Amino acid sequence: MRISKLGFMLTLVGTIIAGSARAEAFTNQELISTLGQVAEGAPSIDAALLAEEVAANLGKGGAALPAWSRLAAMPQINVDVEFELNSVVIAAESYRNVGMIADALHDPRLLGHKILIVGHTDSTGDAKDNLKLSQARADAIRDALSTTFAVAPDRLFAVGVGEEMPLNVTDPKAPANRRVQLINVGLLK
Amino acid sequence: MEKRSRIFSCVLLTMSLAAGVVRAETISFADAVSTLVQACGTDIKKHCRDVNLADHGVQQCLQHHQAEVSPSCTTTLNEVTNSIQLRLAAQASVTKICSEDAARVCHDVAPGEANLVNCLARATEVVGKKCSQAITDAGWR
Repeated sequence: MRISKLGFMLTLVGTIIAGSARAEAFTNQELISTLGQVAEGAPSIDAALLAEEVAANLGKGGAALPAWSRLAAMPQINVDVEFELNSVVIAAESYRNVGMIADALHDPRLLGHKILIVGHTDSTGDAKDNLKLSQARADAIRDALSTTFAVAPDRLFAVGVGEEMPLNVTDPKAPANRRVQLINVGLLK
Repeated sequence: MEKRSRIFSCVLLTMSLAAGVVRAETISFADAVSTLVQACGTDIKKHCRDVNLADHGVQQCLQHHQAEVSPSCTTTLNEVTNSIQLRLAAQASVTKICSEDAARVCHDVAPGEANLVNCLARATEVVGKKCSQAITDAGWR
């Protein structure tokens, strides 16, 4: 099983350049403006359903699954976060990026918005292991944000999708596929 | 514990504002953790490699190993922790501190905290000092 550093290729959705965009490439304002675009008709989020859907369809690709396809139109951004080897411990090198996410979520323009944190891996190793690892790492980011970074826990949801939704479909092992995706899923009610 | 810290920070902020104390600007989470990694990166790798960010884990680990970590790390940890607590307290208090200014200056803005803060942050010449300082401390300029 390959459990190495899971990264998030930092790119604005739609301007993805596999393997080249790094964390330093984005600003707090980009995070806020991208995630803060008004989302109309936000679907109700059931993180457990999203996780179940992926787990039940391993190897079939996840983006077209019913619950996931409803998220496609929501404001979203990919962020680069590295983890320690064989671990869910966020690497110190990525503290800044987690801090930037926290700053964005404390900005008035995003206060009250719910954020879905989606963990992705590349296709190296076993698909089930990757699914489990990506969930644990998405959970680690959610937990850091909701405790140390004081983001209200009811605004945060975490789901791991393993290798099921690669950015680079032609090269599933590409580093660009290791990422965490933040999706604005609407306002708290 | 965290709640108590935030209340304490609120009290500190209120006292500081009331006394007109001049102090350094608060810093963002991103800058706080970057500063921390710069000052404590070696200590984190050495003593806290298996500790995650959640539940103030790294902060508590560094405090637990205070006798072993570098003095500059300890100083930086205290500074960034205080600054972040001040910022969070300011964010939580802006609405209350700025309520009179908001009613006077921003009564016609569209609903939403972002619109209100934007209005208050722009109206620098007519917003009161306490409100202005709270917005600055909140990092909302």
